[in-house]
Amino acid sequence: MQLTLFWIFSLLMILFALGVVSLRSPISCALSLVGSFLALAALFVTLDAFFIGIIQVLVAAGAVMVLFLFIIMLLNLQAEERRPVKLSAMVGAGAIIFCFIKLLAEVIAASPLLSRPIPLLQETATNDIAMIGTTLFRSFNLPFQIIGVLLLVATVGVVLLSRRTLK
Amino acid sequence: MLLADLFYPVNPLYLEFSVVLLGLALLVVEAFVPGCSKKALALIGVTGLLLILLATWLPWQPLDPSMASAHFYTWDALALFFKRFMIVMTILTMLMSLPFVPSIERSIPGEKSGSGVGEFFILPIFACASLMWLVSAVNFIMLFVSLECLSIVLYVAITYFRNDSKSLEAGTKYLILSALATGFLVYGIAWIFGTTGTMSINELSKAIAGLPLSSLTPLLFGIGLILVAFCFKIGAVPFQFWLPDVYQGAPTPITAFLSVASKAGGFVILLRLLEQLYTIPLLAKKMSVIVLALAVMTLLFGNLAAMAQSNMKRLLAYSSIAHTGYLLMAVVSIGAPLMGMAIQCYLAAYLLMTSLAFLVLLIVSQKLSNDELYSFQGLHQRSPFLACAMTIAMASLAGLPLTIGFIGKLFVFEVALQQRHYGLVVIGSISVVAGLYYYLKVVRAMYWQQPSEGAYPIVVSKKIGCLIGALAGGIVVLGIYPAPLFFLFK
Repeated sequence: MQLTLFWIFSLLMILFALGVVSLRSPISCALSLVGSFLALAALFVTLDAFFIGIIQVLVAAGAVMVLFLFIIMLLNLQAEERRPVKLSAMVGAGAIIFCFIKLLAEVIAASPLLSRPIPLLQETATNDIAMIGTTLFRSFNLPFQIIGVLLLVATVGVVLLSRRTLK
Repeated sequence: MLLADLFYPVNPLYLEFSVVLLGLALLVVEAFVPGCSKKALALIGVTGLLLILLATWLPWQPLDPSMASAHFYTWDALALFFKRFMIVMTILTMLMSLPFVPSIERSIPGEKSGSGVGEFFILPIFACASLMWLVSAVNFIMLFVSLECLSIVLYVAITYFRNDSKSLEAGTKYLILSALATGFLVYGIAWIFGTTGTMSINELSKAIAGLPLSSLTPLLFGIGLILVAFCFKIGAVPFQFWLPDVYQGAPTPITAFLSVASKAGGFVILLRLLEQLYTIPLLAKKMSVIVLALAVMTLLFGNLAAMAQSNMKRLLAYSSIAHTGYLLMAVVSIGAPLMGMAIQCYLAAYLLMTSLAFLVLLIVSQKLSNDELYSFQGLHQRSPFLACAMTIAMASLAGLPLTIGFIGKLFVFEVALQQRHYGLVVIGSISVVAGLYYYLKVVRAMYWQQPSEGAYPIVVSKKIGCLIGALAGGIVVLGIYPAPLFFLFK
């Protein structure tokens, strides 16, 4: 059951991700990204990581992407013009992607991770919020603080770069 | 006794947090003190950083291993040296920004003139803090987080001149390619974590030693992905495409910072990672082949491509790729006893000469508002002082004797010879000769070519003159008598 769900949601996620790259209208791109995030959230839920799944829906798919959509609509962006596709660029990109996927397939085939039985998780994830909280604030306190600095710098940067022009 | 108790086993994490606090304080002052002069702001920042630099000589103790943060943060000689290195480079960047203020005021849109200048001095402080975290990172999570913090500062700083299309282009390129590199990094970390089950860089060799042979393929895949990300950061061929465009478009002090501090940070992590991997003989063989190939490609490409450049910033960008090549020459020779010292020495030399070159470039290009090579023509008639300083910087970058650049190259070649990389040394020598050509091209323009029409004498203010003099003096004095430099590495 879990495996079936995994395949369904991963395929959905990849399909939506392809949509983000290949669709021309910015709104369809953003909506595909929402779809991809939702599928990812579903994957987390199948792994019993309920909290991360819900946060993924609420924050990434909900808050962030809705804001994104608003901005796209406010800016009234038009669909990208269909430029003639450069053959050389397409061939190059295709070759790189093909090589990467081939390499990945070989690595996965050679890796013992598939044949090794994977132990079940020790803790039951019934109280995963508390677990995440302790991990984040106790063991991962230092990186957590640095993320705080990162967010501050990002805020300062946004204010700086979005300043109104003097004309 | 009481005072000693209070201060003695001090947690070195305070160093980074005091840098962050300094940045925060400056932000608050900038926002809430009306009529506060931007120069005063910069000087407070520089003074604060100088104090923190002095504080690095306090008897800091490594973190108590029972502390959770000790899994992320190390306090060893390498980290300490590079923390000082980052602080010095940040101070230089801020001082370099002072003569740059007119350009900033011209290029930044704002309701009133002068708004947005203060942040130009404050952003490098945050970059400095994240680099200080980065050089202490011994855990992939810490590495990722501090690297991202640095990248965000750099995105903003590179795009600082929003009205200038070149700066915008540079910022966008850096944003997209850096995000791509981060993607490679995270994917690589995931593979390494999946195979070894550890996020710690320090325990990597122990974890790998206990693995079955069949796990080697996924592990190598992960390492390869991480290498891609770091080659991007240090600008090694074939991941160097972003470098000339970004260097050209970014504000000049930021270019200098990017070229020195960000590159040094990448090398520290590369060293930490490779040192672990080299303890496994099977991996060591594969890694050394990869790094060797990278070094050869970087040396040849950087030096040969630099020859054709007519823009000074692009020339320095290709020269920066070439210097990555020399540094990789030392990295190949991991295991040689002097390897760490060679890299530290080379980077210290690189800091002095690159800062000097960018500082002179900044002053010259500001007068003519372009940074093409021809604006250096006849500089010797317009300002003998600047021409002399630039000659010293170029001589040092080329690695001529009596300059600190020579000492750095000497060490790198010595280390490569010790490890019997004779082919690499030959290629290195060829690139040094190629380097002479394009560095001396600048000298030729300054001394043997007539100034272009409308070029007038450049007057250098006393303070900037002192800074240039100090950098040039450092290059020459340490080139003749490098002992004080070695004192720093202890």
